[in-house]
Amino acid sequence: MNLQSSRPSWGRKAIHGLVLLLAVTLTTSAFAGIFDEGDAANGETVFNANCAACHSITNEVVAAPGLGGISERWGASDELLVKWIQNPQGAAESGDPYIANLVETYVGVYGWMSAQAVSEAEIKDIMAYIKAGPAEGPADGGDVAACPTYDELQASDDNDSAAIWFLILLVLFVIIAISSTNIQRSVKNAHRESEGLEPLPNVSYGEAVRAWAWKNIVFVSIIGLFVTAYVVTVAYQEAMDVGVYEAYEPEQPIKFYHSIHVCENEVDCQYCHSSASKSKHAGIPSTNVCMNCHKGIKKGSRWGEKEIDKIYAAIGFDRTSGQYIEDYEQQPVMWNKVHNLPDHVFFSHQQHVTVGNLECQNCHGDVATFKGGRIAPVEEVAAYADANPGAGIIKLTKPTLTMGWCIECHNKAKVNVVTSDNGYYQEVHDRLKEGRGYEEMLRYMEDEKITVKDLGGWECSKCHY
Amino acid sequence: MLTRNTFLFALVALLMGACTTDPNSPGLEYMPDMYRSPAVEAYVDYGMDPYHFGEAQYDSLNHRLSARKPADGSIAYAGDVQPYNMPYPYPNTTEGYEEAAELKSPLPTTKANIERGKEVYEIMCIHCHGEAGKGDGAISKNGHIKGIPDYSGKLKDLPEGKAFHSIHYGKGLMGSHASQISQYERWQVVQYVKVLQNGGTMPEFDENGNMMAAGAASAEEATEEVAPEETEG
Repeated sequence: MNLQSSRPSWGRKAIHGLVLLLAVTLTTSAFAGIFDEGDAANGETVFNANCAACHSITNEVVAAPGLGGISERWGASDELLVKWIQNPQGAAESGDPYIANLVETYVGVYGWMSAQAVSEAEIKDIMAYIKAGPAEGPADGGDVAACPTYDELQASDDNDSAAIWFLILLVLFVIIAISSTNIQRSVKNAHRESEGLEPLPNVSYGEAVRAWAWKNIVFVSIIGLFVTAYVVTVAYQEAMDVGVYEAYEPEQPIKFYHSIHVCENEVDCQYCHSSASKSKHAGIPSTNVCMNCHKGIKKGSRWGEKEIDKIYAAIGFDRTSGQYIEDYEQQPVMWNKVHNLPDHVFFSHQQHVTVGNLECQNCHGDVATFKGGRIAPVEEVAAYADANPGAGIIKLTKPTLTMGWCIECHNKAKVNVVTSDNGYYQEVHDRLKEGRGYEEMLRYMEDEKITVKDLGGWECSKCHY
Repeated sequence: MLTRNTFLFALVALLMGACTTDPNSPGLEYMPDMYRSPAVEAYVDYGMDPYHFGEAQYDSLNHRLSARKPADGSIAYAGDVQPYNMPYPYPNTTEGYEEAAELKSPLPTTKANIERGKEVYEIMCIHCHGEAGKGDGAISKNGHIKGIPDYSGKLKDLPEGKAFHSIHYGKGLMGSHASQISQYERWQVVQYVKVLQNGGTMPEFDENGNMMAAGAASAEEATEEVAPEETEG
């Protein structure tokens, strides 16, 4: 009750105060300068549309000097500030010493600002927005939780460490068993001695085991059979893993996350790997490609400035001034190569991306969940194909990057010689139309599709030459 | 003797288990000499290869690029598009940018060119400039880079030469995309950007996919008629 009754009077007071403030504002604003009484909210909109590409409202240099504290340092008249924004070259011609100093200091470094189509009232709002400063808390990037990495997706049941613990326990058990037989014998001997019998013959552990094994030959044989079968199976599996690089994910010099770039910020694979459609190699982006975004994005969402500074160190970029350092000895970033094909096989990205129109995910899996470069295990790719039936992923079973995997896909992949628009199959299509070619085509079409294999994708010399 | 064998077996099993789970190791290789190319391949550190080089060469080759930059002034030779690979004449200055306004696209405006331009746009530009060129791509929406201008707003009257210049050298926060987009593709992108400047309305084409050379007034009427079919997203 008390609260209820007190509220209206509070509100009235506030309204009175506001009206008073408004009256004062209105009377003073008529005489106020460019730095007073603007609408900061509108200023933010105008600033983001016209200025934010180059300027920040703090002292941080983006592509031009930061504007933080401009109201304190602006040393020319208000009219010149408006003119400086609307027509920089025109303002420079006024001969004002402060403007002349600005031209001398900054134009040589950052170039002329292009004339901005903003009104005086909008400039007032912008100045109010700059004065108000950035909102509390840094502008957070995309929702990190919406773009998990593959290991965050997997339930972390760590089988490998369990196996190691099992082995350690087994070794401990064997040691205890060995030592306990000695204890058993000495206890038995002590017992026999007390009964006045001869002590047991001092046989070695091996002899004892052998004697016991002979006595229980059936049991030992069965166990032996199981152990042999287990060893053979494990050895076979290990041998099948020779030359299989699935899940290889070497540490990289920069903690680059594919998930941040591909999933959160929707950068296309071919933006960085731009030679995938033109060359044998998909290409590792050189540092200048990184800088296309990271000239402006100086702070990462996971590692802050630390990892991005490594790019700057490689290319010679000064994060405070926002400028490249002249005569800097640039160093390439030494990424570790992940997808290594043997020298005796030829593979071209161009053929698969441009001619075959394959999706990157077909071989590389769901890279949007990756951290660094990684060879996607074939099971993961198959799971991705199941989850995204529309993506056109060919489901395979053989381990990624093995020859079995290549030819399995060449046997399954359908070639569309008719609608393929890149002209590559034009000659093939013409030959399949008549004569012997037509008979060939009928044979190809027995399984109702023309596969890569039909067109010679299983010939040895297609890849090995 | 038997116990020692047991321990040895356990140790081997342990090691085998360990080497397959380390993500830093590619695993075992069979006959690795067949994996290494004596001919120089890109992205191979020949200093790391013990099969073809001795210690002395190791030191000189270790941590060196195998693929080199082309010599200064090289012109890429690529068949039909070679004329588009000639050096770009305008300097990377404010004056150069203004002068580039006179530059005209050597490519005719055709449906195929615009469609290819759209493909390249969706790879190279969309994450900042947005699907409709409004400057609302994911990077902008996430607040990483702000103030990306709208093609159909602030940049509506940007001449094609200036657009080409901006892709070649970069502008403001945008970096140079010359290493990623060839000059030929750049002109195709510029053709698509012109469609976006026009609010996404495609020009009218004849049956060969060439742009109809019609008067301004009739072309305007024509685009309105075909707009429902031709408008992008």
